[in-house]
Amino acid sequence: MTSTTIAPISEPDVSVDDLLSDAAGKLFFDISDFDTVQAAEDEGWAPTVWNAVAEAGFAWIGLPEEAGGSGGTLADACEVLRIAGAHSAPIPLAETGILGGWLLASAGLALPEGPVTVSAGRPDDTLTIAHNADGSATLNGSLHRIPWAAKADILALLDNGRVLAVPGDSYTVEHLTNMAGEPRETVTFDNVTVTAGGIGDAGDGVTPESLRARGALSRVMLMAGALEAMMALTIDYTETRQQFGRPIGRFQAVAQHLVWSAQDAAITKMAAQLAARQAARGDGRFEIAAARSLADECASAATRQCHQAHGAMGMTQEYALHHLSRRLWSWRSEWASPGEWSQVVGRYAEQVGAANIYPLITGGSAVLD
Amino acid sequence: MDFSPTELTPAELELQAEVRDFLDAELPRGSYEPALGMGAPNDKEFSKKMAAKGWLGMALPKQYGGHDRSAVDRFIVVEELLRSGAPIGYHWVADRQTGSVINRFGTEEQRERFLPMICRGEIGFSIGMSEPDSGSDLASVSMRAERGANGWIMNGSKIWTSSAHENDFFVCLCRTSPIEDGNKHQGLSQMLVDLKSPGLEINGIPFLDGSPGFNEVVMTDVFVPDELVLGEVGMGWAQNTSELAYERGGPDRWLSTFGVLEQFLAMHEGTQLGDRAVEMLGGSIARYWGLRNLSLTVARMIDQGGAPSVESALVKEMGTRFEQDTLLKLTELVDLEPSPESASMFERMFTAATLTGPSFTIRGGTIEILRSVAAKGLRA
Repeated sequence: MTSTTIAPISEPDVSVDDLLSDAAGKLFFDISDFDTVQAAEDEGWAPTVWNAVAEAGFAWIGLPEEAGGSGGTLADACEVLRIAGAHSAPIPLAETGILGGWLLASAGLALPEGPVTVSAGRPDDTLTIAHNADGSATLNGSLHRIPWAAKADILALLDNGRVLAVPGDSYTVEHLTNMAGEPRETVTFDNVTVTAGGIGDAGDGVTPESLRARGALSRVMLMAGALEAMMALTIDYTETRQQFGRPIGRFQAVAQHLVWSAQDAAITKMAAQLAARQAARGDGRFEIAAARSLADECASAATRQCHQAHGAMGMTQEYALHHLSRRLWSWRSEWASPGEWSQVVGRYAEQVGAANIYPLITGGSAVLD
Repeated sequence: MDFSPTELTPAELELQAEVRDFLDAELPRGSYEPALGMGAPNDKEFSKKMAAKGWLGMALPKQYGGHDRSAVDRFIVVEELLRSGAPIGYHWVADRQTGSVINRFGTEEQRERFLPMICRGEIGFSIGMSEPDSGSDLASVSMRAERGANGWIMNGSKIWTSSAHENDFFVCLCRTSPIEDGNKHQGLSQMLVDLKSPGLEINGIPFLDGSPGFNEVVMTDVFVPDELVLGEVGMGWAQNTSELAYERGGPDRWLSTFGVLEQFLAMHEGTQLGDRAVEMLGGSIARYWGLRNLSLTVARMIDQGGAPSVESALVKEMGTRFEQDTLLKLTELVDLEPSPESASMFERMFTAATLTGPSFTIRGGTIEILRSVAAKGLRA
């Protein structure tokens, strides 16, 4: 490809092409339908969804082509993730791409054909990693809440500036789930060796903090998608369902639930897209933390409102609301608690001082040193 | 409903920097008591300085003294004024809505007469909508205008008319012909009424915080000449509802208590805040960030020729509730018995905000009415 225009290095193009959003929307709409999502709760995931996503290359967007990725920006990857969230796609999409794949690619380690997973780190983890003279490492102990650990080809770990590609068949898995039935498993290592070839130095900017921020961003994107879908579902239901001779959405008390949920969905989507954009530019720490703070709060409020608007219909597994609401209840607590992300924002505010909190609100991460 | 993220252009960021420099020079931090958003006091000198910078009537046409600038440019200026608690009272209503209404619906003569004065910050407007028996059900107004020689004779009362005692004119919604076939949206008109007119009496009504700015305006045989009928006789309802359809999503709907939060942080500068305070602060700042971007998007949509009435209603309903929530969260956090006479600026601002706070979700359309507007739009 020849091109005469050279984008300035300092300002990467972080806008997302509508073609990508449309393609992802169509794919997930076709393949991640109600029955598939429901069945995944028993099977642990949806292999048909995974295969379609893998074939389209969606799992590796935002990772450089030379590392085996699909190219594109982090903002592109986030948009696909948002759409996956809207369709409750039961696959480790974030883990394979912008989290685990990112770790592996940064360290020059090969991306596997199948899913990758990562650890967000839990207080009760007991993993120890001993680095041996021959460059290999020996793992013992346990990690908790690992997404789709049993389905992953590789568990990518970040340890003191190094990335370890731990083979998915080297550990034992205790199958546990989150509130949505998504695997969040305990993995145990018993003298597991990762050879020197499976270990590389983490790339520039790959730190526990940046991994944590990406993890939080991934949940923001998923939640933004789920909130939008939940809103659409709720508007549809309250327009269809009739009581006292008219659609229940025409009652002011029910309309209030709709309006508040629409606000929650809108502000979360706005926050998510801005955070993705800023992260793709290189430093989105304020935007990600702020977006997480908002998304968590909105997820809690909107699930309550949408369930109330649905009445008993929303309480059955035969109706789609629970695919979204149960995920929102789970995702808001992953990669640190809602309150912690608000505290991150609060500490930034404290850091810039009273006179500069408005410039922080308008300027974001760029205002932080 | 469509909110697409937008960002400021380099030129817009330059304007932001210029406004910040202006405010730093005019209103050095600590030298004044910041006002609570649009409820700011009148300061004619300040309004004139704003005008001299070209920041009044920004979106009005140049031929009438305006500046042909965008809604986003105005957003940038206004958000800085509001977050600083600047004394914008005198020009606020004219700059936000009356100017654009006169520009859209007024006669050529009215544009030439009023718009240059608005752009120079030399005329203050009040809003004459509510009446003792007409609040949210505005179409039920009973202010009557009857045909006289070369004009109209007006009789009736308006109420909750902010700053009528200090302003020059008000836009008065009235009935110019009786209700026919039960259609009360017909037969309404808007008049530009001189608040110094003979027969017009302004009676102060003390506001909750003791300030005198709320008023009753009683009109007894007040003559309004034909040239001061705004737009078309009988088209008052359509004109009136369009007045704030888009502008209601602006920064004035979520920044009213920002100064209180800023002052809370300023008061604790140099000390390490506890986790609870930091969490509250962070949660609030995250929401300011989100609201600001929604609100900015509404302004961008207006510039792109969109009609973001549902989006505006959603932002206002959410923003004004948030203004109140911020106060509640501070109430939970601080150990003080708030007093209006306190030596602490935070405490005085907190007290004033608490006493005026209930108005945030009422003025310019109650949140209940906004929810109806928004819900209709969501179904469409």
